[in-house]
Amino acid sequence: MTLSLIEAVLLVFVLGCAIGAAVLRDVLASLMAFAAYSLGISIIWVMLEAPDVGLTEAAVGAGIMTILFILALANTVRPQENGLFESISVRTVVLVGAFVVVMIATVPSLPAIGAEGAANPVVSGEVTQHYIDNAYADTEVHNAVTAVLAAYRGFDTLGEAVVVFSAGVAALTVLRQEVFA
Amino acid sequence: MFELLNSHYNYFAVMLLLGIGLYMLIESKNLVKKVIGMNIFQTGIFLFFITLAFRAGGNPPIIKEGGGPYVSPLPHVLILTAIVVGVSLTAVALALIIRIYTEYGTLDEDKLKQLYYD
Repeated sequence: MTLSLIEAVLLVFVLGCAIGAAVLRDVLASLMAFAAYSLGISIIWVMLEAPDVGLTEAAVGAGIMTILFILALANTVRPQENGLFESISVRTVVLVGAFVVVMIATVPSLPAIGAEGAANPVVSGEVTQHYIDNAYADTEVHNAVTAVLAAYRGFDTLGEAVVVFSAGVAALTVLRQEVFA
Repeated sequence: MFELLNSHYNYFAVMLLLGIGLYMLIESKNLVKKVIGMNIFQTGIFLFFITLAFRAGGNPPIIKEGGGPYVSPLPHVLILTAIVVGVSLTAVALALIIRIYTEYGTLDEDKLKQLYYD
């Protein structure tokens, strides 16, 4: 798999939006950059043949998340300061740069994008093969992602529901409210 | 180096996104921007997983006769769960931020530190 033009454009867009979110001084502008970032990354999910993740990211990441942030901004403050961009702290850039260099040093040992067979055990491993071979026979669901989410790893999904419920309870407790208003 | 970039481009993006997220977590003075940074860090990790699940010429894992080869469904499931958990995390963080604002009247990290120690 080599880098195609559309993927290059998407990656540059996503990284640009992320940097924009980091350096824009105004919180609302930073938030809008983040929403554009979520949209770009949901298109990347579709390019990587993960339509379920793309749909969830577009609905939840770009949609609900942005609404939550806007609600939080509406209930707090949006500081009005001069200047479009924040000043860059050299010390933090050096620290983060060192972190990124160390992380990039691990990249050559990862399988190439799109590799299969022995090079990429995630794609060609026993677990993946088992799900793909048996998902339809076991669950009669065509979409293997749904089959794994709701049947094979149903307890995981139950745990996820518990997390969402606890988050709702925690948010109400912190805000000292009895219902979502 | 160019060869590596051409075959591993998404992993470079992952590491850069982790860096940007970490920078925001450390350097942003506004608490809301810190939460945005945390989300960028998170999506960097999501990109790592989904890229590992991809295979060249693979189809989305919707099983039908003669539809293969398919990309791996398992990382997709893990990331679906992680996205929802990430939203819950964001919701609680933002609720805490609203509460902090009603108690202290500011969201600036330095001012909060001063108010806390006074």
